[in-house]
Amino acid sequence: MGNLVAAEAVRPPRLRRRSGRSRETVYAYLTLLPVLLVIAAFSLYPILYAAYLSLHKELLTDPNDHHFVGLGNYINVFHSFYLVDSVTSTIVFVVMSVPAVMIFGLLVALLLNQAFAGATVLRVAVLLPWAMPPIVSGIIWRWILNDDYGILNSILRQLSIIHYAIPWLSNPQLARVALVFAQVWHEGPLAAIFLLAGLRAIPTETYGAARVDGAGWWSIFYHITLPLLRAPLLLVLIYETIVAAVTFDLVYIMTGGGPANATALVSWFAYTEVFKFVNLGNGAALAFLIAAALLVVILGYLRVLRSESPR
Amino acid sequence: MNVAWRKLCRKGGLWAATVVVLFFVLAPMLWILDSSFQGENELLTRPSHLLPQQPTVENFGYIFTGTIPRSFEVTGTLRSRVSQEAREVPQALENSVIVAVAVTIVNAVLGALAAYSFARLRFAGKTLAFNFLLGSRLLPAIAVAIPYYTIVNAANLLDTYTGLILVYLTFTLPFTVWFLRDYFQTLPEEIEEAALVDGCSRLQVLVRIVLPLAAPGLVAAGAFAFMFSYNEFLFALLLTQTIKSQTLPVILASVATNPDASLALTATSVVLAMVPPLLFALGFQRFLARGLVAALGRV
Repeated sequence: MGNLVAAEAVRPPRLRRRSGRSRETVYAYLTLLPVLLVIAAFSLYPILYAAYLSLHKELLTDPNDHHFVGLGNYINVFHSFYLVDSVTSTIVFVVMSVPAVMIFGLLVALLLNQAFAGATVLRVAVLLPWAMPPIVSGIIWRWILNDDYGILNSILRQLSIIHYAIPWLSNPQLARVALVFAQVWHEGPLAAIFLLAGLRAIPTETYGAARVDGAGWWSIFYHITLPLLRAPLLLVLIYETIVAAVTFDLVYIMTGGGPANATALVSWFAYTEVFKFVNLGNGAALAFLIAAALLVVILGYLRVLRSESPR
Repeated sequence: MNVAWRKLCRKGGLWAATVVVLFFVLAPMLWILDSSFQGENELLTRPSHLLPQQPTVENFGYIFTGTIPRSFEVTGTLRSRVSQEAREVPQALENSVIVAVAVTIVNAVLGALAAYSFARLRFAGKTLAFNFLLGSRLLPAIAVAIPYYTIVNAANLLDTYTGLILVYLTFTLPFTVWFLRDYFQTLPEEIEEAALVDGCSRLQVLVRIVLPLAAPGLVAAGAFAFMFSYNEFLFALLLTQTIKSQTLPVILASVATNPDASLALTATSVVLAMVPPLLFALGFQRFLARGLVAALGRV
């Protein structure tokens, strides 16, 4: 009896709490609904549709034939004239631009981490290229590197360093380097700001102890700074690898994939298959292959990151 | 003496390095700004003039009013070329800003609502919903380009602001929700609990207590959404057809890739396009840097 009374006394608050909880659940679902709806409409269906395209003949010049071709489109991509060259170009671009971006970022971060008035000025200025649309970065570099009226050739000639114009963007090798330059200009700031945060997170006492022990500048950098910067460096590496591997805007505006397909990266052909060859099936298959390759690279990096993190 | 000398050397070295980096970062932008004040005939002379000999604002005049610059009337060995597309830059600027602002506002409202629920409430399917949001961004944009086109086409939204805004929302919302959720979680929960006890609803708590405290995070998330929408090129190229909705990157690309493009007008168009991101980067420098670090740090 006494227990019952006690139970009665307890019930009302518990009930109130439960109804409060369910009202909160309704509120939660209501707030999530708009976001989830937008995302669902633009992720589940597109992925399924892209998968469907990649397994069917989808050629805009042959609009009445959409038969199932199995992995035919994937095989087409593997046998295409561009696959080997574009994958090579992409790897070359990634291998050149990612380390360049990271070295630029690290050097600038080290500079920004010094206590002097210049660091403040530089910190504001260095973000500017990153804020630009990639299309703008591309036009600016195209403008500077133009062999005919570009300022770079003009200055080099006036200084008598060269005697005839260098075709920066129409020589295959130079065009590749030019693309890397523009990429460093556009992406380097992000690496610098991120690595600066990493440097700031290192407690100053760590350096103090080393200095007392008489360690030199290089020794401190190599044995203390670099190991402690491992995680941020890896994150920049992952992010910049993805960005470089799917670079499209810069190629579109600076070289249009040329000269002689030297700068035609895989994402360029994913675009070309659809918009020039109007072969949606091949385009979708190539896009899936790119996505799969990227996923493998990211998972590989993350594995390295995980195995590093306990230290 | 020796110590002072070494200090001076260190300072000198740091400043020298700063000047080199500043030059690399700023010179390209300054050169195109410089070019926009030169006439077509001056840009075609060689060697290039580092500073305009006859500075002119006629390029800007043409873009805004259609008055053909005098430098184009020079004929003979110099070609006079006028890029008609450059006249579309003001409208494209307007389109870009409208789309970017709309995406930013919707991101802030919907993103904050959802992020707060993810941060503080417990409900069934929370982890699933969150992973779904993040997972939706794993596919490279180019892989879903054609399906996005068909969806937008089927909804009759090709060449409209709405079509672009919807697509940009799908790219920015997952990031905004993720970013704001983490930001909200760093705020002290006690104030919110006190307000709840006093009879505030969750929505009131969010609007009156959490959002004012989270203003820096909200600004950072909004700035990212704005910059993404303003800078995006591939989908803008795909989903717009006329100047009714074409954004700046599309118009810039068409100005610059026209083989008969006017140099002066290309430079001037680029300068106009640089203004909003420059203002943004300068105005929100602190927020952007902090947001960037938070964003990359949680991969």
